[in-house]
Amino acid sequence: MPSSPSDTPGLTAEAGPVALRVTGLAKAFGPTVALRHCEAEILAGEVHAIMGENGSGKSTLVKILTGVHAADAGTVELAGRPFAPRSPAAAIRAGIMAVFQEVLVVDSRSVLENAWLGADTVFRVRLPEAERRDKARAVFAELLGAGIDLDGPAGALPLSQRQACAIARVLLREPKVLILDEATSALDVATRDRLFAALGRRRAGGMATVFISHRMDEIGEIADRVTVLRSGESVGTLDRAAATPDRLVHLMTGADHLAGGKGAHQRAGRPPTAEPVLRVRDLRLRPGAAPVSVELRAGEVIGLAGLEGHGQDDFLRALWEGSQNGGVLRVSGSAQTPVRSAGQAAALGIGYVPRDRRGESLFAPLSIEENFGVVTSGADRRFGLLSHAARRGRLAAYRESLGIRMGKPTDLITTLSGGNQQKVIIARWLAREPRILLLNDPTRGIDLGAKRDIYALLDKLAADGVAVVMLSTEVDEHVELMDRVLVFREGTVGAVLDRDQLSRAALVSAFFGQEVAR
Amino acid sequence: MTAVLRFLRTKPYAFALLLAVVLLIANIIAQPAFASPSNWAETLAIFAPFAIAAFASTPAIMSGGGGIDISIGPLMTVIDMVIVADLLPHGLGSPWVVVPFCLVAGAAVGAVNGTLVTVLRFQPVVATLCMNFILTGLATQLEGSSTPQGSTWWTNDLSSSFGAIPGGLISIAVVLLIWLGLSRTAYLRNLYATGGDDAAAFSAGVDVTRVRILAYTTGGLFAGIGGLALMSVLKEGEASDATMYTLVALAAVALGGTAFSGKRGSLIGTLFGACCMYLITNVLSAANVPDTWTGAVYGALLLIAVIISAGLASAMQAPSTQAPSTQAPPARAVPAQGSTA
Repeated sequence: MPSSPSDTPGLTAEAGPVALRVTGLAKAFGPTVALRHCEAEILAGEVHAIMGENGSGKSTLVKILTGVHAADAGTVELAGRPFAPRSPAAAIRAGIMAVFQEVLVVDSRSVLENAWLGADTVFRVRLPEAERRDKARAVFAELLGAGIDLDGPAGALPLSQRQACAIARVLLREPKVLILDEATSALDVATRDRLFAALGRRRAGGMATVFISHRMDEIGEIADRVTVLRSGESVGTLDRAAATPDRLVHLMTGADHLAGGKGAHQRAGRPPTAEPVLRVRDLRLRPGAAPVSVELRAGEVIGLAGLEGHGQDDFLRALWEGSQNGGVLRVSGSAQTPVRSAGQAAALGIGYVPRDRRGESLFAPLSIEENFGVVTSGADRRFGLLSHAARRGRLAAYRESLGIRMGKPTDLITTLSGGNQQKVIIARWLAREPRILLLNDPTRGIDLGAKRDIYALLDKLAADGVAVVMLSTEVDEHVELMDRVLVFREGTVGAVLDRDQLSRAALVSAFFGQEVAR
Repeated sequence: MTAVLRFLRTKPYAFALLLAVVLLIANIIAQPAFASPSNWAETLAIFAPFAIAAFASTPAIMSGGGGIDISIGPLMTVIDMVIVADLLPHGLGSPWVVVPFCLVAGAAVGAVNGTLVTVLRFQPVVATLCMNFILTGLATQLEGSSTPQGSTWWTNDLSSSFGAIPGGLISIAVVLLIWLGLSRTAYLRNLYATGGDDAAAFSAGVDVTRVRILAYTTGGLFAGIGGLALMSVLKEGEASDATMYTLVALAAVALGGTAFSGKRGSLIGTLFGACCMYLITNVLSAANVPDTWTGAVYGALLLIAVIISAGLASAMQAPSTQAPSTQAPPARAVPAQGSTA
C-alpha cells in the first residue's frame, strides 16, 4: 500500500471550484455539544479527508450533510447555493450521498435492486430495466474486478461485497459530493484499492469525496487534503504533503504519538516455554481446507490477520463455539473436555468479545452497569437477591483500570461512545477472570484514545498470564502489539510470523501468500 | 423429488401451495360434489371475502417495522353495513355509487391507520386496535335494533356469477390486478426494500414514511373490495360478521410464507394460505367432525401447518448464511492489483 505522496499524483494543483462549503456549523443534542464550530471547504474533484477521534463531531457533520439532523447554527453551501436538506432523500436530490461503516443493504432483495435502491420515486420508475442492468454491471466490474450475480440476494454475499453494493448505489447516482464515513472498514483490501481507483477516475468529472477513515494508510494513499476535527471544532486543514501521521495525531489529540508507535511496545517476547493453555488440533475451518493446529501459551498475545473472509473470523469463532467441520480444542487442565459450545468455553475460562457490538454484545435498552454485570450477576448476590451496590463496586474497579469515560453507571449503554462501549464489554469478560481472552477486531471504529487504552490493557493482561487472541484488520496493530501473528489464507493458516519477523511488508505479503525478504 | 425440495426451499409460498393442493384433493375425496363446476360459483363467493381479508392484511405486514393492521375485519363489516343499511334503502344501489364508496372508504381508513403508525409513530398493533374498536362500535351503532338486510341485482351476481364468470373470482381478480398494476410501478420494489431493511431504504432516499402509509392505504382499499364481497354473500349487516376474519386472515398470511418481520412475503403466498385455511374448514365439515370439535381441530391443524411453514422458511435462510464461508474470495485479490495499475 503506497503511502508516500509521490505514488499517487496529487490533484490539488488542478482542483476545481468549491463543491461544498461548511461555515460555523454547530449542533447540540440536549446538553451534549456534538459540533461546536466546524469550518471546511471541499473542492470539486478532490478527496478531502476528515479526521478526528470518535466524539470529535465527524458523524454529526455527516448527519447534517445527509439531512438526518438539522444544524443549530452555521451554514452549508453546495456549489455556491445554501443547502439545508431535511431528509436523506432531499440531500440525494441535491447531490450529496453517503456510505456508512454500517453496511446498509437490504439482505432479502437482489444485488440489482440494492444498487438502484432509492433511485425511483414512490411510484415512478426512473430508468428502464435494461439500462439499470448495464450500468450496474459496469460499476460492479469496476469495484469487484469480476462479475456478480445481479439477481442473487444481497444477503448471501460476504460483508465486503455487500458494502460494495452500497457503494455501487452511490456511484450509480453520480453525486456531486460523495461521503465515505468509515465505509472502507467493511471492504477487503483488493476491493478498497479498486474503490480508490474508481474515485480517482471520477475526479475528472468533478466529484468531490469526503473521506472519513481511522486508517492512516488509507488517508495517506488517497486524500489531497485533510481537515482535522477535535471536540466538535475544526482545528486545521493540511495539504497532502504536510499531513504526516505525526502531525495529524498531534492535531487530533494534542498528544505526540500514535499508541504504540516505534518503541512503545516495551514488552519482551513471552518465554516460549510458558505453559500452553489451549491446544488446537486439526481444526478444519472449511470443508476441504487444510487443518489448523496451534498452541496458545499463557501470557502470549496472538494476532489473527489476513484479507477479509479468509478464515480468521471462523477460527476465532471456532475457539469460542467449537468447530463445525472437525478438529479438537482442549483447554489445559481439562484434557477430557474438548470445547464444543460457547457456554462450555466460558466455563473453561474463555472470554469472547465479538466484532459486531450492536448485534452481538450490547444490550441497548440496558444500563452501563447492567451491561457490565450481565454474565457475572452471581457475584452480586446478597441474601439471594441482586445487589446493585455490589455490581457498581465491581464496575468501579474496571472503570478505573480501563479508563471508561461515562456518566452514571445507571445511564444507558448507548449514551457512551463506541470506544467506551467496547471497554464495558471487555470489562464484562474480565470480570470472569478468563485465562484466554478472544477479541474480534476490538478497535474497529473506535477512537484513538480508547484504542490506546485497549493496547495498554492487552499488555497488562499478558503480563498477568492471560492468553490473548486478537483478530485485527489493522496491519499496524499486528506489527506493534503481537507476539505472534497467524496469517490466514483460503481458510487455513498461511503463515505464522513471530515477533522478530513482523513488519508491514511481511504481513501484507503473507496476505497475498508471498514471502518477503527481510 | 429433489426438484420439489428445491421448490419448497426457494419459494416462501411453496408449502402453502402444496398444502392447498393436498387439501383440495382431500376435500374432493371427502365430498365429491366439491369438484362439480355447478358449485364453483358459490364456493368462490364464500371464499372471496375471506381471501380478500387476508390480502388486505398483507401490505402492512410487508412494510416491516412491526407493521400490522388488525382493523381489517371490522372495516369490512362497516362497509358491508353502510351498503345494506344506508345506500341500498336510499336508492343508491348503483354500482357507480357503491363501488367507488367501498374503495374510497376503505382506502381512507387505511390511510388514517398508516398516518397513525408512521407520522404519529404509534405502535401498529395499538393504532389499528383502536381503529378496530372504533369501527366495531360504528358497526353496532349502524346496525341499530334490527339486522338490516338488502341486495340488488349486481350484488346478487357477485355472489353467484356474471354469465359464466363466478362473481367471487372477479372480486379476487380485481385485487390481484391492482397488485399486478403496482408491481409495474416502482412501488412494490420500494415496499419490499422498506420491509427488508428500513434503515437502508431510508438512507438510500426511499420515502419510507410514504411507502408505509401507502401500504396501509392499499390494505384498506382491498378491505373495501372485501366488504363489498362480504355484503354480496351475506345480504345483511351484522356487527359481528367479519370480526373473526381479522385473526384468521393473519394466520393465512403467515401460512402463505410472509414473515411478520416484513423481510419476506408475497400476495400470491397469502392467496395460497387463504386457500388452505378455507379448505381446512371445509374438509372438517365434510368429514363430519362434530361442531363442538371443529374449533380445536382447526386450530391444531393450523398450528402444525404454520410450524412446518416456519421450518421451511428457516431452511431457506440456511444456504444464504453459509454462502460467504463456502466461497473462496482470495483468488480474486491478486488480479485486482493489475486492474488498479
